[in-house]
Amino acid sequence: MELKTLALDLGSFGVLQERFVLLAPGWYLDPLTGQRIFYDPNTQNFYTLAGGVYIPLGYMNPAPKQVSLGPGEKLKITISYKYSGPAVSGAIEYFSVGVYGTFGFNEQLVGQNTKSLPASTTPLSYTGSYTFTIPTNVGADWNDIYCKIYGGSPSVPQTLFGYENALIIVGKDPAISEFTIVDFAKV
Amino acid sequence: MLDLVLTPMALSAREFNAGDTVRVTVSFSYTVGINTTVRLLAGPYYTNIFGKHLVDSCVGRADVSLPAASTPTSQTADIDFTLVPKSLGGVDNGTYGLRVWVEGTNAVAEQDSVIIVFGNAAGGGDVFSSMMPMLMMLMMLGMIMPMTQQMGTGAEEA
Repeated sequence: MELKTLALDLGSFGVLQERFVLLAPGWYLDPLTGQRIFYDPNTQNFYTLAGGVYIPLGYMNPAPKQVSLGPGEKLKITISYKYSGPAVSGAIEYFSVGVYGTFGFNEQLVGQNTKSLPASTTPLSYTGSYTFTIPTNVGADWNDIYCKIYGGSPSVPQTLFGYENALIIVGKDPAISEFTIVDFAKV
Repeated sequence: MLDLVLTPMALSAREFNAGDTVRVTVSFSYTVGINTTVRLLAGPYYTNIFGKHLVDSCVGRADVSLPAASTPTSQTADIDFTLVPKSLGGVDNGTYGLRVWVEGTNAVAEQDSVIIVFGNAAGGGDVFSSMMPMLMMLMMLGMIMPMTQQMGTGAEEA
């Protein structure tokens, strides 16, 4: 099967320092949208009332390209970002494929890498990637992806980026187009 | 800059004898997540004031395997069907359209007036069947006339 790839740029960020207050578990109000969201410090994720992972407004973007995928095929997602600050060990690069909707991002496939970032006074570029194998029970609406980097010691702030409608999922029923009669003759 | 758009040419009408086998070649693009098999069907149809009517007795079938493909993939297929003579419940002499479709999908291609059928013998059976409606009417008249005469006689007596 062919390996399909998607690339995302998470931009630039620094280390999580004293300006960042660690959040206690509980309900919060998103200042941008007014939506009630729950913070779970164990997963370092915000969740919506419906249970989807909350992705703040503005982090999901229209996909610059679409990748067609069917069951058994592999999808490689590559991210890039820049980091400057003290050395960080154990930062998490997180990748997810799922359904983004009114109630947040419903994660269907997730993967993660652990990353160590050396100390630097100037922003240095990094890349990370994860390869998913599309399962046979893939839903036709699993067409959104998002990635983030967070955690580590000292912790880096959670930085997210996602694409809507990045995937075209090909299901078990054939889709036929350009159906034409080429010729007919006696045999 | 010369901008050319290529479109499939319309099929030209062809003549066939009743009883001939016709091979139809179709092309299409498809995507599917798993290896699968689709059934293609082809047959002649006639058109009257009530619309288009497929001649079911002539419809041919062919199963085509489609390997899994997540990007549009070109495929061709052949479907054979026989122009069953009218004496066996098939097509009469005349002009028919050609329809091909994929079972369970909305993929269909057709063109009017491309199959010209001849060679059906005008046998005794055909003459009999064409006269059947007239014979039936005569028989019914024969049954109704005596009844109306009886009713008329009864009314006069009353």
